[in-house]
Amino acid sequence: MGDIGLLGFGPDGWGLVLFRAGLMTLAVSVAAFLCGLVLGTLVAWARVGGNRVMRALAEAYTVVLRGVPDILVIYLFYFGGRQVVAAIGTALGFAGPFDISGFVAGMLAIGLISGASQSEVLRGAYQAVPRGTIEAGRVVGMGRFTLFRRVIAPQAMVTALPAMGNQWQSVIKESALVSVTGLVETMRQVSVAAGTTQEHFLFYAAGAVIYLIITTLSDQVFRLAERRSLRGHQGAGY
Amino acid sequence: MITASIGPALSLSGLRKSFGHNEVLRGIDLSARDGDVISMIGASGSGKSTLLRCIPMLEIPDAGTIAVGEDSLSPKGGRLTRTEDAIARRMRGHLGFVFQNFNLWPHRTVLENVIEAPLFVQGRSRAEAVDEALALLEKVGLAEKRDAWPAHLSGGQQQRVAIARALAQHPRAILFDEPTSALDPELVGEVLKVIRRLAEEGRTMLIVTHEMGFAREVSSRVVFLHQGRIEEDGTPAEVFGAPKSERARAFLASHFDRNR
Amino acid sequence: MDLTFISGMFQKILTGLPLTLNLWLLSLAGGACLALTLNLMRQNRIGNAIAATYVFVFRGTPLLIQIFMIYYGLAGFGFIRQSFLWPFLRDPYWCGLLALILNDAAYSSEILRGGLRAVPKGAVEAGRVSGMGRATILRRITLPIATRQALPAYSNEVISMLKATALVSTITLMDMTGIARAAISETWRAVEILLCAAVIYLVISMLVTRASAWLEQRLSPWQFGRTTP
Repeated sequence: MGDIGLLGFGPDGWGLVLFRAGLMTLAVSVAAFLCGLVLGTLVAWARVGGNRVMRALAEAYTVVLRGVPDILVIYLFYFGGRQVVAAIGTALGFAGPFDISGFVAGMLAIGLISGASQSEVLRGAYQAVPRGTIEAGRVVGMGRFTLFRRVIAPQAMVTALPAMGNQWQSVIKESALVSVTGLVETMRQVSVAAGTTQEHFLFYAAGAVIYLIITTLSDQVFRLAERRSLRGHQGAGY
Repeated sequence: MITASIGPALSLSGLRKSFGHNEVLRGIDLSARDGDVISMIGASGSGKSTLLRCIPMLEIPDAGTIAVGEDSLSPKGGRLTRTEDAIARRMRGHLGFVFQNFNLWPHRTVLENVIEAPLFVQGRSRAEAVDEALALLEKVGLAEKRDAWPAHLSGGQQQRVAIARALAQHPRAILFDEPTSALDPELVGEVLKVIRRLAEEGRTMLIVTHEMGFAREVSSRVVFLHQGRIEEDGTPAEVFGAPKSERARAFLASHFDRNR
Repeated sequence: MDLTFISGMFQKILTGLPLTLNLWLLSLAGGACLALTLNLMRQNRIGNAIAATYVFVFRGTPLLIQIFMIYYGLAGFGFIRQSFLWPFLRDPYWCGLLALILNDAAYSSEILRGGLRAVPKGAVEAGRVSGMGRATILRRITLPIATRQALPAYSNEVISMLKATALVSTITLMDMTGIARAAISETWRAVEILLCAAVIYLVISMLVTRASAWLEQRLSPWQFGRTTP
């Protein structure tokens, strides 16, 4: 079954459309991952060096996001975001209808989800930095910021990279859930194509291949980065 | 303790083994009668550990024959067929093996380590296996540790448990693969003491060791291996007192120099 | 805050709990069996290649696409519609369960593989020299050590699967998320409804975290790593 020509780049083919959808998946994933990185860093910092209240808040955040289905978080951002935007809009005297873009809702939701696990990775990596090297930085008079930038971050990055690669892979797969907001990324686009042509298997298989290509390529990138970051660390016990 | 039966307890003939291009055993012939205590000495890389590991088929020899009691195997091409594997398992049942790194099962207590094979391989009754295991632990001086986890024991204690575990097999012969090499110097003595007592009981044993003084004292025979061949084979007095080959002389000289 | 609405909503969403639990526990059980099979396959080269490809595909694609592929995609094949499997594969429940099992197996098999790699080689050799056969070694040595070693990672997977069951709501199943979704389109009070559902999932996952910490302590009273250098 299935007419493979449907996947072509010609006038009757869905090739170009799917390609663009693939780029959208990539775009929303990158945005979400970066959101998660910022959030994850802040939360990890709160858990390591924050006061009691900050630590408790940070921990509650990771526990909650670990236990709630991703799709609920996305719905929450999508529908909730609409309610908030509508409330603000009405208060400011604008007339509706109000909507929040699927891209923004997806980016924030997945960023929030990913931030929770990224914070765990970063915290672990920070704790794996040998205490002695930090003390060595202190005794030569480094301030907190210099210490972080010159001693802690470079070492922690080496430990964190493989796990961060996994986090990125998760983000790509979670990005498929953003399709429920109507954002035309890969998952949404193959559903539309499958419905239009009634070639369900063909298009879902094509979608799966697009995801595999993205995950495999980015895996290579992360491996390369890992090898780079390991330079000079051979035998250092990492 | 000595099982009276015709023929040697253990015999190896024409044993060969290579790892890649590296020929580790180049035709070994060796047999042990019941009650023999044979020490195998030689420089590291001389093939003595490989030789020992070939006997229970942890390494499968490329050529040669291994016989334990009535069972014998002549594997070809470095692998075992299904029937050969069954024979190998029966042969292992008649052997005890003590590893350099003890290899106790980390998820079982001391007592459980000793009764594991009697229960799950030999199908003995639990009560009988436990009684015997307690007696064996008593013998190696660890009865009070019966419920401890291996990780909570010192290396010397772990090795003594491993010896009790080997004895629970009712072995015709016990093989020791450098039993004290992984131990801190102050723990070596307690393990050697146990092995010495087994020798006095008349157990059949094959011991790969670097402890020359010990080998000289407990062995009925000493075998010197060099580059996969047996270069010397005789009583301790012969091998240590008047080694025939130049290489054995050099090896012994350097070893006694280093130890004393 | 409208308390009567919220408590009513809790009750309503909880009617989906049995289906959520059903899918969760059955997919874990099925996934575990398949994960063990995949690991046993890895002993020869062909089996290893098949298992590796399986894991690559199922871990490299989103669960949502796997669910749609099974529910919508397989129906396109005439021979499947004709086969004895059709009564199952036309039913969203069985399709959802199948997708969850296949997905869980890929992740669990990697977790189990990590555990198996952590089994000290010497422990297996000690089993062999005491005359144990393959099956006995697997049952008495390898699996007990590997599963206890893999427990922390597996408890994460158990929670992931709870969360993953929510995706079956996209193929019309009325699990807790499906009910929440339907309630949203009726009342448009999305935030309250979604928070109710989130709280229920959160409570279950926190119970799992507690239980697994307890289990870990009970099952691993020894420390690994010191016995084998």
